[in-house]
Amino acid sequence: MKKLTALVLALALCLSLISFASADALKIVVMVDGTVLDQNNGRDAIEARWEELHPGYDIEFVQPDHSAYYDVMQQRISSGDWPDVLILSSTYYADYAAAGVLWDMTEAWENSKTKNSGRFTGDIVFDGLKIDGKLYGFAPTRGNGCVTYVKKAWLDACGLEAPTTYDDYIAMCRAFKDKFGTYAVSAAGFVGNEAPFVNYLPEFYQDAYPFFVQQEDGTWVDGFCQDNMKEALQRIQDAVAEGLIDKETLTNKTSDARNKFYDDKFGVFTYWAGTWATNLKTNLEANGRDGELVALKPLEGNPLYYDRVPPVWCISAACKNPQEVFDAFIDTMLDGGDTQMLWEYGAEGTHWSRAAETVLAGTEKEATYEEGQFHMKENLEKAGTLYTKNHIDPMLALAGFDPSYDDPMSVAPEAKAASELFNANSRLASIVPATPELSEMNGELTSIKSQIIADVALGSISVEEGYKTFVDEGGQELSDAIVESLNALN
Amino acid sequence: MASSTSNGTIRVGKKPLGQRMKKYWGFYLMFIPVLIFVAVFHYAPMFGIRYAFYSWKIVGDPQWVGLANFEKLFKQSQFSTSFWNTIVFSVVKLVLNTGMAVIISLLLNEMISIKFKKLSQTIIYLPHFMSWVVTASVFSLLLAPSANGLINQVLIKLHIIDEGIYYLADKGHWRTWYYIINLWRETGWQTIIFMATLTGIDPGIYEAASIDGAGRWQKMWYVTFPALGNTIITVLILNLAKIMNLFESVFVLQNDSVRRATNVLQTYVYYQTFNAGASADYGYTTAVGLFRSLVGLALMLICNWASKKVRGRGIV
Repeated sequence: MKKLTALVLALALCLSLISFASADALKIVVMVDGTVLDQNNGRDAIEARWEELHPGYDIEFVQPDHSAYYDVMQQRISSGDWPDVLILSSTYYADYAAAGVLWDMTEAWENSKTKNSGRFTGDIVFDGLKIDGKLYGFAPTRGNGCVTYVKKAWLDACGLEAPTTYDDYIAMCRAFKDKFGTYAVSAAGFVGNEAPFVNYLPEFYQDAYPFFVQQEDGTWVDGFCQDNMKEALQRIQDAVAEGLIDKETLTNKTSDARNKFYDDKFGVFTYWAGTWATNLKTNLEANGRDGELVALKPLEGNPLYYDRVPPVWCISAACKNPQEVFDAFIDTMLDGGDTQMLWEYGAEGTHWSRAAETVLAGTEKEATYEEGQFHMKENLEKAGTLYTKNHIDPMLALAGFDPSYDDPMSVAPEAKAASELFNANSRLASIVPATPELSEMNGELTSIKSQIIADVALGSISVEEGYKTFVDEGGQELSDAIVESLNALN
Repeated sequence: MASSTSNGTIRVGKKPLGQRMKKYWGFYLMFIPVLIFVAVFHYAPMFGIRYAFYSWKIVGDPQWVGLANFEKLFKQSQFSTSFWNTIVFSVVKLVLNTGMAVIISLLLNEMISIKFKKLSQTIIYLPHFMSWVVTASVFSLLLAPSANGLINQVLIKLHIIDEGIYYLADKGHWRTWYYIINLWRETGWQTIIFMATLTGIDPGIYEAASIDGAGRWQKMWYVTFPALGNTIITVLILNLAKIMNLFESVFVLQNDSVRRATNVLQTYVYYQTFNAGASADYGYTTAVGLFRSLVGLALMLICNWASKKVRGRGIV
C-alpha cells in the first residue's frame, strides 16, 4: 500500500511539474529608466495590461531611479547579468553596439509588422541609428529637440515681428535689453554636456558643432577645430559682453533658466519642443505673465534645429529568444492599437479613462467628463496634476494609430504647433562610432573644450587665446588622435 | 591564569581563544552581523584593486596592462593638478576650520547668558545639516553677478565695486569662496568637541587665576587656551588622515570655467569616467583611486605616529 501511495504521489508530482512547465510564460527581463511610469505611478497596471494583451509572456521590469539608471545598468552589464531588453541613450547605444552587447535586429526590423504597417514615418530616424549598416535598437519616437521661443508680449512692446535673420535676431535682443533693462537670452550652460551640445544657443552656434562630425566625403573632423566654431565663439563672446546673453548661463541649471524665464528676466528661450511649449505657457501664466510664445523657425542661412538621437530599445546579445522577444515586445510598441495605447497613455482606469467622472486638474480646478470622453486621470504621486503620457509622447511617435482605432490625440494646440514647427525644421544629430581612443581621451578633451568655451564666452580670454590654450593643454593632440581613429574606421 | 614574576608583580595571561569564545559567546554572536557587514562591504570590494593593473571597459574581459595605468596618470597634467588641489584645499580648509572653531568656542565659553549661548550654538551648528547641493544653490544665488546676488549688491551699494563680480566663475575668487563656504558650514559643528573640552576645565583653576589677579583676557589666554591644546592637536591629527576624501563640496561648486583648475582627485575620477561615455576605462580610474588610497594610508600612518608622540596613543 505504501509503495502504491509513493508511486501515485511521484506520478502526481511529475504531472504537476509538466503542467506547470507548459503553463510557464516566457519571462522577459526589461530594464527601463524613468521614462516609463514607475511603480509609484501605476506601473503594475501597465504590466498587467501588457501581459493581458500578450498572453504567454511574463514581463519583469527592472527600473532603478532615473538618475541612477546608467550606473545600475553598467553594473549589471559588467557582472554579466544582462537583461533581455534595455533602453539606451545614443552614447551607450553606439558603445554597446561596438562592444557586442546588443543583438543585431536589422533583419528582424526589415521584416517587422511596424516597418511594413504603412503607418511608419521614421525611416530617416532609423537610418541615423544604423551603425555600419546594422540596426541594434528600436526608437518608438523621434528624439525631439529644442526650438527658440520668444515672448509675444515683449515683441509687441518693442513693436517687432519675429526675426528671420541673425541681424534681425540681434536687433530684437538689443531692443529687449533697452526696453526691459535685462539680458534677452539665457540658457543652462554655454555648451551642453551631451549631443547635440549646441541646442540651447542655436542662433549663436549656427553651423558650428564642438564634437566630431563626418563630412560629406565620409572623413571625420573635430568640429571644435573648424573656423565656424571660432566664429561662433566670437558671436557668443560679443553677445555676453554686450549684455544680450545672461552671464549666469555658465552656472544656470535648466530649472534656473526656466525660473528666470517665468519671472520675466529674459524673453528669448531655446527649449524643448512639444509638451514643453504648454508647460512654458502655463507656468508663465501661473506667474501672472503673458503666456503667449512665438516659436521661431531657424534663422535664414542657419541650419535646421538638431533632433536629438532618440533613446532606443535594444535586445541584449544574452537574450535566449531575441526574435521572439522582438516580435512580442518591440514590434508591438507601435502596433496602432491597444499596445501602442498602453505605451502612449498608460493603463485604462489608472492613467486614463473614458468613464463619466470629475477629475481634479489643478489645486482649484475640476474637470467633468461624460461617458465615452477620453481624459487623463489624476497623478497618483502628485495630487492635483494629471498624467500627460506614459513612455511614448504621442506627438513624437514614429507611427500613428490604425485608422480604425479610436485615437484620443489629446494634445494642447500650442504644443502641437511647436512640435510641428520643430519636425518641419530639424535634422537628426549624428552618432559617432566608438573607438578606443574616443573612450580613452574624450573625457579629458571635453573638459578642455568646455573650459575654453566658458572662458571665451565670459571674455576672460580671446578666441585666439582659447585656441592657443587648446594646443598648450594637449587638446589638439587628443583631438587629432581621436579623428585619426575615426577615419581609420572608413 | 595569573602568575607572579621574580620582582613580585602579577602577570595576567590570556585564556585560549576557544575558551574565551565559549565564555563570551553572546558577545561573539552579536559581533557576527558587524563582521559580515565589514567583510562584504569593506573587504570584498577590495579585490577590485586588481583592475588598476588592467584595462577594463565594463564589457569583455579585462586586459592586463601592468603598470601602464600608473604611467599614464603620472603623465597627465590634470592628475597632478588634481592631486595638489586635493592636498592644498584639504590642508587650508583644515587649518582655517580648526582655527575658527577654536576662536568661536572661546567666545561662546565667555558668554554669560546661558540662553543666548545655547541659541548661538544652535545657529552655528545648523549649516552642518544642510546638504552640499543646497549649500551650493544658496551660495550660487548669494554670489550671483546679477541683481539677485546679495553680496555683489551690498558691495556695489557700498561703492566698493562698480559692477558685479562672477565669483564662482573666476579661478582666484572661487578658491577664496570655497574656503569661506566651508568655514560657514563646518566651523559650528567642529566647536562641539572644543566646547566639551572647555566644560571639563576645573573651575578652581579660574578661581585661583582670579585670586592671582588675572583678568578675563588673561584667564582666557593662560588657562582656557592651553587647556584646548591637546584637543586641537588631536582634531588636526584625526582630520589630517582624511584629507584625501574630498569630493562633494568641490563638485557642487564647480562649473566649466573653473573645473580644470579646481579638480581634486575624486572629481577628476568622476569626469574621466562620465565624460568618456559608455566605454570609460575603469582600469585607469581604479589606478587613480588606488593611488589616492595609498597616499591616504601613508598620511594615516604618519598621523598615527604623530598621535603616539603627542597623545601617547595611536589613532588606529
